Amino acid sequence: MKQFLNDRLPLDGVMTHLRKPLPKHINLLFSLGSLAMFLLLLQAATGAFLALSYSPSPDHAHNAVKYISEEVPFGNFVRGLHHWGASAMVIIVFLHILRVVLYGSYKAPRELTWVVGVLLLLVTLGFGFTGYLLPWDEKAYWATVVGIEISSTAPVLGDVVAKVMRGGAEVGAVTLSRFYALHTIWLPWLAFGLVGLHLFLVRFYGSSGTLKNTPEDMKTGKPFYPDQVFEDVVGMLILFVVLACAALFAPVPLEDVADPTNADYDPRPEWYFLFLFQLLKYFQGPFEILGTFVIPTVGMLLLLFLPFLDRSERKVLWKRPIAMTVTSFCVIAIVGLTILGATAPKLETQEDAAQPADEVQQVTPPDTETTDIDEREDVFDFQLTEEEIEKAREVGEESQ
Amino acid sequence: MSKEGRRSFLQIATACIGGLVSLAAGIPLIGFAISPAWKKGESQWVDIGTVDRLKNSRFKKVNYTFTAKDGWVKATKKRSVYVTDVGNGEWSVFSRTCSHLGCLVRWDESKESFLCPCHGAVFDKDGVVVAGPPPRPLQKLEVKVENGLLYVKES
Repeated sequence: MKQFLNDRLPLDGVMTHLRKPLPKHINLLFSLGSLAMFLLLLQAATGAFLALSYSPSPDHAHNAVKYISEEVPFGNFVRGLHHWGASAMVIIVFLHILRVVLYGSYKAPRELTWVVGVLLLLVTLGFGFTGYLLPWDEKAYWATVVGIEISSTAPVLGDVVAKVMRGGAEVGAVTLSRFYALHTIWLPWLAFGLVGLHLFLVRFYGSSGTLKNTPEDMKTGKPFYPDQVFEDVVGMLILFVVLACAALFAPVPLEDVADPTNADYDPRPEWYFLFLFQLLKYFQGPFEILGTFVIPTVGMLLLLFLPFLDRSERKVLWKRPIAMTVTSFCVIAIVGLTILGATAPKLETQEDAAQPADEVQQVTPPDTETTDIDEREDVFDFQLTEEEIEKAREVGEESQ
Repeated sequence: MSKEGRRSFLQIATACIGGLVSLAAGIPLIGFAISPAWKKGESQWVDIGTVDRLKNSRFKKVNYTFTAKDGWVKATKKRSVYVTDVGNGEWSVFSRTCSHLGCLVRWDESKESFLCPCHGAVFDKDGVVVAGPPPRPLQKLEVKVENGLLYVKES
């Protein structure tokens, strides 16, 4: 069998390549990239199974997630792995990028490897943003409303981008459908394409090594396979055990179904967007755009083009004072804003609680003006009137 | 034609065919994806209660529903507003949607202000920004009274 495969596939060549030695002094931090890839695969696997029982429509999404959590065997565990896996992925990708910055691994000739890595960070955040709308609970709805409104503040194309994301004037059925497609088709394609390119570049240029490495050390360390692969696999096992424990013992939240009139709800995004949410509080009036657009965009562009801005060959930390100062400031700012956002007190108002809201249902037929949307008569309408429901019930009782 | 010339021609022709097919497929695909950007929304008058019931209201919360098209379904939309009877047949109806990033504001009777739970915005009783990040006042909805019902214009 092995001979059969060897004659038809370049397995020996692949194994020879995998057994090439790494630089000396490679440590555990060099497993972070492998862990990120493991998490991407875990998310893809758990997401593929969750999709078997999910329905991306406002009428069914919340119930589908509830069904997965409460009735499908292992559903809560699979959803837990997916939920906590998403948080773990953000942390691991962040740490991986931090390792690359601290070791100066982004420097020539690895600029493109870095650029693809930053694009993967954006894809990871995109997965987070599109994913947490899917349960269609209060958090999902309000965090998405705020997130899309943030994009609408961008100059020139902001409003267009927001409408394209929503698929209409407000967050609704089309938005959920779009986010589901992005989360399960567009972003995975993009992610696996970028990961493939990233891995190719990593293998092509080899590891950048540690700060201790001399030129002689670069090809005299342990082989990638099986030594480094074994360490990576042990790391994956530990990570999986942690996630499995979280999935088993830390319940994944599912709040009440999204209600666009629930003003008692304090909207908060997932923890990895809290720093941005908190940042917005500090820019008022005409300066709002600084928090919503300028700072995040400039920050991301600086990150993307870091190798082209820092062109020195020095990698030792204390010989790169500007890069280290900026990195430290960014890390402290992100962690600090996240903590401030997480601990911010919730709003308490002395609203007239004794005066409940009037609940009014439209009694007059809709009188629609300025309609540019094709008013087709054959549009599916799943809204039944009370008379129709009553009639259906009577027919059902008669047939019994 | 020399071999080099023929190969140059093949390279250019391949690129042209690839570009043409990409454009022919890409333009409708992109148009399909971004079409919501140029669709105009609908506006309609929606009744939010009888004038008798809302008479003498002061920043009264009213939640109402109406039917509107959302993509391929006619969906029941929910909205929340604060209604005030100004007197002399005049009404003031504020949308509860914060003009900053879309969270719902709450009326605080003791502070005579609308407060936003997201980024700390404060609006006075006329909807004017007093503090916080919103760039615009609270939206005041267009209203009309017909057959004893108070209507707001939904857009």
